[in-house]
Amino acid sequence: MFMRSKVAGLIFAGAIALCGQETKLDPHSSIQINFPTDSPVLQLSTNVDESRATPRGGAMVVDLHMSLSLRNSGSRNIRGITLMVTAQEVTPGGKASVAVPSLDVAPGQSFPVRIDLRLLRPLQAGGGPLVKVSLDGVLFDGFDFYGPNRLNSRRSMTVWEMEAQRDRQHFKSVLAASGPAGLQREMLDSLARQAERPRIDVRVSRGGRAVSSAAAPEHMARFAFLKMPDSPVEAVDGWAEVAANEARTPTIQVVNRSSKPVDYVEIGWLVKDPQGHEFLAGSVPAAEGDLFLPPGRSGRVLQDTALRFSRNAGEPVSIASMTGFVSQVEFADGTAWVPNRLALQLSGLLRMVAASPEEQRLADLYRTKGLNAVVEELRKR
Amino acid sequence: MTKHPSEALLALFAGGDLGSLRRWRVERHVAACTECQLEVSEFSELRAAVPAMMEPPEISWTKLAVEMKANIRLGLEAGECVSAGRSDGRGIFNVRALAVCGSLALLLAAFLLERPTPRIEPVRATEAAFLESSGSGIQSKTGDQSIMLLNTRARDARNVDYLASGNAMRARYVDSETGYVTVNNVYAQ
Repeated sequence: MFMRSKVAGLIFAGAIALCGQETKLDPHSSIQINFPTDSPVLQLSTNVDESRATPRGGAMVVDLHMSLSLRNSGSRNIRGITLMVTAQEVTPGGKASVAVPSLDVAPGQSFPVRIDLRLLRPLQAGGGPLVKVSLDGVLFDGFDFYGPNRLNSRRSMTVWEMEAQRDRQHFKSVLAASGPAGLQREMLDSLARQAERPRIDVRVSRGGRAVSSAAAPEHMARFAFLKMPDSPVEAVDGWAEVAANEARTPTIQVVNRSSKPVDYVEIGWLVKDPQGHEFLAGSVPAAEGDLFLPPGRSGRVLQDTALRFSRNAGEPVSIASMTGFVSQVEFADGTAWVPNRLALQLSGLLRMVAASPEEQRLADLYRTKGLNAVVEELRKR
Repeated sequence: MTKHPSEALLALFAGGDLGSLRRWRVERHVAACTECQLEVSEFSELRAAVPAMMEPPEISWTKLAVEMKANIRLGLEAGECVSAGRSDGRGIFNVRALAVCGSLALLLAAFLLERPTPRIEPVRATEAAFLESSGSGIQSKTGDQSIMLLNTRARDARNVDYLASGNAMRARYVDSETGYVTVNNVYAQ
C-alpha cells in the first residue's frame, strides 16, 4: 500500500510539473516598448492576446506572441525596419532582433510587425518586464537611415535593399526581354531553387568547442575560394580548426583591391561532406571595428566561434572541404557592395545561397496571388 | 497528406527511440507536415527542459548477499550465546528462528526502502552558452535559461533560411499572414 501510494505520488508530482497551469500574460507588466520621441515610426497598437506563461518543472515557459501596428510618420517611404528585443532577466547580455526588409510603406501608411518568442526561465525570477522592444533602425528610400543602430541594422538593411534593387532590375529585364512567360519561368525557377536548396543544421558557440565529445582528431583545414569578378575585396587564404563535424576559429586573409577604404567584409562559407554534398554553412563576418583596409592593404577576418554541423535532426555532417566567397563589403563611406546576379549564376552560388528577401517576397507573391500581381508589383517602382 | 502519427509516436521520434522502419515512416510524414514538425520540436524542447530521469542507483548484490549471510550468522550465533546456559533445548529453535526472521525482516525493509526508484534531479544544463536552430526557431541557451525567436508564422517551415553569422544566427521566412519577409536574429551572449 505504502509503495503504491509512493508511486502514485511520484506520478502526480510529475504530472503537475509537466502539465502546469497556463496563465495569460499581462502586457503592461511583462512587455515594455520604447520608441524614441523623434521616431519616424509611431506605435499604433500592440496585441499580445495569444501570449501565455506555463510552469514546466522548476521553470516557466513564456510564449509571447506580439503583433505591433506601426505607422510611417516620416516624409519618405520606408524600405525596412529592425526592432531590438531584449530579455535581460532571462538572458543577461543576450539579445535578439526582428527585421522586416523589402517594405514599401508610404508616409502615413501603417504596417504590422510580428514578434513571436519563447522564454524559458526559472520559476523564481525577479520583477521588471520580461521583454523590452525598442527601435534599432529604419531604412528609407535612397538609403537614408534613422535609429541608434546598436545591432548594425543599418548595414544589414542597406545590403538587403541593394540586393532588392539588383533582383528587381533582373526580373524587370526578364519581363522586358521575354514577356510574362519569361517572368513566370524565372518565378518557377526561384521557387524550385528555394525548395531544393541544400540545408544544414548549425550549432554555434562562442570560443571553445561546440561539443566536448568530439573524439575525432583535430586538423587545420584550408579554404578554397570562389573568385567574384567585380569584388572590391579578394580572399587569398584561410583556414579553420576542423574535427569531424565541428569547425572553429575560421580565419581568412583578405586584400582590398578597390580604390576606397573598406571597414567591413563578410565571407560566405560553404562546406562539403565526404559524399560530395555541399551546403551553405554560414558566414564569417569581420568582428565589429576590427577591420580597416586602405586600398591595396591586406587584413584578417577572424571569428572566435565554434560551429557544429548536422542534418536530419542530429545526424553529424563531417567536413571534407570548405569553400569561401566574398558575400558583402562595406566601404568606410557607408556604401556597400554585393555580388551581382550574373556572378552568382556563373559561380553556381545562386542555387547554394538563400534568395534575397525581395526575391523571396516576389516568388511568394507569385505563388499566392499569381503572375499578374508580380508584374504589377515590378511596375510600381 | 497521410494521417498524422500519434502523439506517442512523435514523442518517440523526437527522442530518437523509434525502430528504423517506423522512424522512416514518421520522418517522411514530419518532413511534409508543419503541424507535426512543431509537435516534434516541442517534444525535443521538453526533453531538454524536463529534469533528466536518473539511472537507478547501482546496487551491489554481492555486498548485499554478504551482509545478509553475516546478519543471519550473527543472529544464529547470538541465539547460541543466549541458549548456552540452558540445559533443555526446547527454546533454542524459537530463538534461532526469531533471530533469522528478525534479520530477514530488517533486510526486507532495507531493500524496500532502498530499492531503485526513479529520482528527479533538478535541471542542470551545461553552463556554456550556445545558439542553435530547430524546426520552430532559433534559440540562445545558457544553463537553464533560454530565449527563442519562433518562426511559427512562416508560410512554409521547410523554406525557412537559417544562417549562422559570427556570434549570431538568423532565420528568414515569409510571414503567412502579412506576406512580408521577416528576419529573426538571435545573438550569442
